[in-house]
Amino acid sequence: MVKVGHFRKEETFTLEPTDQVIFENSRFLSTLVVGKKKTQADILPSGSPGIFRQKSTSSDYLSLGDYARAARNSLGNIGNVLSRKMAASTVQTSIPWPNSKDDYELGKVIGVGATAVVHEALCKPRNEKCAIKRINLEKWNTSMDELLKEIQAMSSCNHENVVTYHTSFVVREELWLVLRLLEGGSLLDIIKHKMRTANCRNGVFDEPVIATVLREVLKGLEYFHNNGQIHRDIKAGNILLGEDGTVQIADFGVSAWLATGRDLSRQKMRHTFVGTPCWMAPEVMEQDHGYDFKADIWSFGITAIEMATGTAPYHKYPPMKVLMLTLQNDPPNLDTGAEEKDQFKVYGKTFRKMIVDCLQKEPNKRPSASELLKHPFFKKAKDKKYLQQTLVAIGPSLETRVQKASKRQPGASGRLHRKETGEWVWSSEDEGDDGGESDTDTESRPLNIISAGSDSEHEESSESDTPPVNLVLRMRNSKKELNDIRFEFAVGKDSADGIASELVGAGLVDSRDMAAITNNLQKLVESRENLKVVTFPLNSGVNNNETPDDKALIGFAQISITD
Amino acid sequence: MPLFGKSQKSPADVVRALKESVNALERGGEKKAEKAQEDVSKNLVLIKNMLYGTSDAEPQTDIIVAQLAQELYNSNLLLLLIQNLSKIDFEGKKDVAQVFNNILRRQIGTRSPTVEYICTKPEILFQLMAGYETQEIALNCGTMLRECARYEALAKIMLNSEDFYNFFTYVEVSTFDIASDAFSTFKELLTRHKILCAEFLETNYEKVFSHYQRLLNSENYVTRRQSLKLLGELLLDRHNFTVMTRYISNPDNLKLMMNMLKERSRNIQFEAFHVFKVFVANPNKPKPILDILLRNQEKLVEFLMKFHTDRAEDEQFNDEKAYLIRQIQELRPVPGH
Repeated sequence: MVKVGHFRKEETFTLEPTDQVIFENSRFLSTLVVGKKKTQADILPSGSPGIFRQKSTSSDYLSLGDYARAARNSLGNIGNVLSRKMAASTVQTSIPWPNSKDDYELGKVIGVGATAVVHEALCKPRNEKCAIKRINLEKWNTSMDELLKEIQAMSSCNHENVVTYHTSFVVREELWLVLRLLEGGSLLDIIKHKMRTANCRNGVFDEPVIATVLREVLKGLEYFHNNGQIHRDIKAGNILLGEDGTVQIADFGVSAWLATGRDLSRQKMRHTFVGTPCWMAPEVMEQDHGYDFKADIWSFGITAIEMATGTAPYHKYPPMKVLMLTLQNDPPNLDTGAEEKDQFKVYGKTFRKMIVDCLQKEPNKRPSASELLKHPFFKKAKDKKYLQQTLVAIGPSLETRVQKASKRQPGASGRLHRKETGEWVWSSEDEGDDGGESDTDTESRPLNIISAGSDSEHEESSESDTPPVNLVLRMRNSKKELNDIRFEFAVGKDSADGIASELVGAGLVDSRDMAAITNNLQKLVESRENLKVVTFPLNSGVNNNETPDDKALIGFAQISITD
Repeated sequence: MPLFGKSQKSPADVVRALKESVNALERGGEKKAEKAQEDVSKNLVLIKNMLYGTSDAEPQTDIIVAQLAQELYNSNLLLLLIQNLSKIDFEGKKDVAQVFNNILRRQIGTRSPTVEYICTKPEILFQLMAGYETQEIALNCGTMLRECARYEALAKIMLNSEDFYNFFTYVEVSTFDIASDAFSTFKELLTRHKILCAEFLETNYEKVFSHYQRLLNSENYVTRRQSLKLLGELLLDRHNFTVMTRYISNPDNLKLMMNMLKERSRNIQFEAFHVFKVFVANPNKPKPILDILLRNQEKLVEFLMKFHTDRAEDEQFNDEKAYLIRQIQELRPVPGH
């Protein structure tokens, strides 16, 4: 007799039931993030003038470096894409999406996940651009059924607000998913960009923008739920924007499997969670009993807070702490993450009430997506053209726009690039001061971002073995607006006075301040093990009506290390 | 009409209206087709709501549902809908599958009237299987097919038809979601009803496994990996004992598995291990099998020692591996040869 009994194969690779979830720090990387990214994705969020906020150590951001690298890589091709876009309007709909890799021209990487890479791509027979998500099936150790279930869920959706799936096919050991390309990037990209380029202390977006985006999200959710599907991972990072202002929910279901697609043989997955803790509903965390589509409504409420304040309420805490806070505390609200009283007072009662409705611990008490659509808050919602003007236009800028605006006067805003030859190149860009700003910004002056060098993709590997030090110089320009000037310092290659003179040469720094900057830059780079920030007085001084202030950086400048 | 409210039609009315609109859709014609498509969708929603209810209304009573089912059988509408599925709009296709599956699951006591009905109309099943050949309806047909496969009577019709062998092509089509959907239906048919499946595999051993061989050698990584995994499951199911014994007596099968143990893909190696182990664990190895193992005795032991050593946490795997190593080390030629 063959000892069948002994060898009876139990499902060696059984996935956790889908309501079992797994913490995956890099989860938000696995999001299908598409489109243009600013190069300095991993830098400090801008705080109030003169005050540096610590970079968040929340787990969501742990792999931001990878993300930024991927984003950086995506920069180069954008011009191409635009010109293709023109051609794409003559698409022949009769040609189906092909299943051969040779029919696609892979472009830049626009997103990286645990088991997947997302490229922008051109479908040659259709002459239409698309996003291709390449999933490495060798790393996908779990049952293929799970993968299929999620792709089927995606392909059974046909809705304006749900990411559009075209086809999928196998290329060697990879699965290629062909999806609609959303050039606007994710809502998270736009939030982060806005927080870098404008003062968002009192709120990132105004209510009409929030209402418009969230109404689109709700329409997508309503469709999911009527289809009997739960998204499980609603958050700004999974909401994508098209160039025309289209809002689509992405990573539907895909999120669930991308997160579980790690090497299960090396990692025990029992008693774990999937989902992103900050957005996760209490009943999902508890796992005692199943949860239903109302879990998405909780996440939706957290996303509403995210759009107003820029982050999820407990973003500063490690995942286990987030679980504890969510389960033990009263539901969070707009002010949960606030640093001072009335920080978000610009937001009205109706908006707050809508958030309270969504964030009820008892799932049955939360409204359904259809009911929420009737909430008075969404009377403020406008059309997608409005989003095109307000969000897409202010989003991380396109390189073409950079070029178009290159004749602008240095010092206003823009970026300093460093060529491979080592010379600094200035390019200006429109930082979105075209009226698209949130009306919550009126209290403070804009904080312009000037970035230098950090985006040239080969620099890190080719320049030297020790990675360059990333620095930011924060000081006021001649118009007294705060500027962040980002640059790298390659130890052993760059010199403090060299960089200072380049800054002066680029018109960014008053020549009287060159010595102060040289000395303090030198000091910071030398003591970078211990010292992260230096604040110092400037020789250029202050106007008669001003009092020097090292906190508000009036008559003072600050250099800090950003990595 | 208190039964249905103001705008509600009777099951007979709705079915008649749906049939007329599907017929119109079938006849085609530019403008008419568009109108027909709208009517089809509208009536499908009406039927779906009768069966499932809506957020405002409960599903209809058993009596109404029974009438509806009877009308669907009498009008031959289920087949007609499937034949014209590709002409129905996106949401309508999903509604067809939902209506079909609900009607299929309907029971009167222990009887399943729709199953009985389909047994008299097997073309419904063949039409559904052929659905895998049309991209835009493949997944809808797959949903209905898997529901059918849950019923032994229907699974039997499908397994015993010549059309079943088309699955060996469907599971390899280039569109991943269609191929995988076909594969899960294929797997359902081969594993769901243990005794039926075992009988089928025994009776049709030659034909099935010669087709199966193609899947194991497929160019498509997913096909190879999935079919190998299913093979392991089939062979290790005790109902399929006769089939397993036959499979592990064939030295060509052993050679194939030994080669797959050395494939580049770790996942394929791992699945191959679970088939290979059955050859080794067989206490009555036929001579050709024993010869191959003996010829490779040392190499196999060495290979297995180093095989997937990072799976330290998988106790069952490590036990099995240790067992195989011991078995192979202890192999001796049969006396007298």
